[in-house]
Amino acid sequence: MARKRAFIPPIERVRDGYAFNIGDDERQLVTRLLTELSQLLMGESGDPRLIRIFPPAYHLADDADADAEYQRLMREDLVASRLSGITTVNAALEAPGPVDEASMIAFVQAINGLRLVLGTMLDVVEDHDPDDIGDDDPQVGEHHLYNFLSWLLDWAVRALSETVTPQET
Amino acid sequence: MSPSPAPAEVGEIDIDDETVPDRPWIVLVWNDPINLMSYVTFVFQKVFGYSLQKATSLMLDVHEKGRAVVSSGAREKAEIDVFRLHEHGLWATMQQDD
Repeated sequence: MARKRAFIPPIERVRDGYAFNIGDDERQLVTRLLTELSQLLMGESGDPRLIRIFPPAYHLADDADADAEYQRLMREDLVASRLSGITTVNAALEAPGPVDEASMIAFVQAINGLRLVLGTMLDVVEDHDPDDIGDDDPQVGEHHLYNFLSWLLDWAVRALSETVTPQET
Repeated sequence: MSPSPAPAEVGEIDIDDETVPDRPWIVLVWNDPINLMSYVTFVFQKVFGYSLQKATSLMLDVHEKGRAVVSSGAREKAEIDVFRLHEHGLWATMQQDD
């Protein structure tokens, strides 16, 4: 028997997997953003919005050649991995019932990918708070969107953590 | 605990003649304003199989000290670790240990 709850988390661990307790409009918003991210990933490789999606692997100046080699060999794999994850997430968001753990892991990676791009565009700083952004800021909508994605991600991680380690009470 | 990814996922990279094979490579994760603390902790648990306690401790090192060494080993293993961290959007790099 279902207990009456005052608050239903947007994402939660349920018996058959993970449930998205979000509306169709929110599902469609995430799907639309992920479709845009896919297009960005398949576009210009030097797009500055992708700088956090493709960080250097070798940071020392002496290893510059090794990093160029890493980027040459691994970037395509990284794009493929991201695109595959986005496909998984968009299917999960259309599913009527709970989704499996692999889908939820793809979800946190994809949502974090969106945050990396949006956070780069907004040049967010530590302890970002959208309430600090004035209503007249031309990017106020994007700041709230970023905050919404952070909120979703945090709940998804909480739900996943219930299986990674025994939940502490 | 160490990850066991499929070797086929990672391209072969020629070992630089100048690198000293005896010194291990270390994988670092750097602090950044975007990644959530809860997410970073989760990624450390998932990618490396670390306990919640160890993952949390590493995450706090990253947050407070600016960076932390999260794994070490042969160059090929370090590259796999870096790639998996990049798949999760963490700012990970590698260097040969001093």
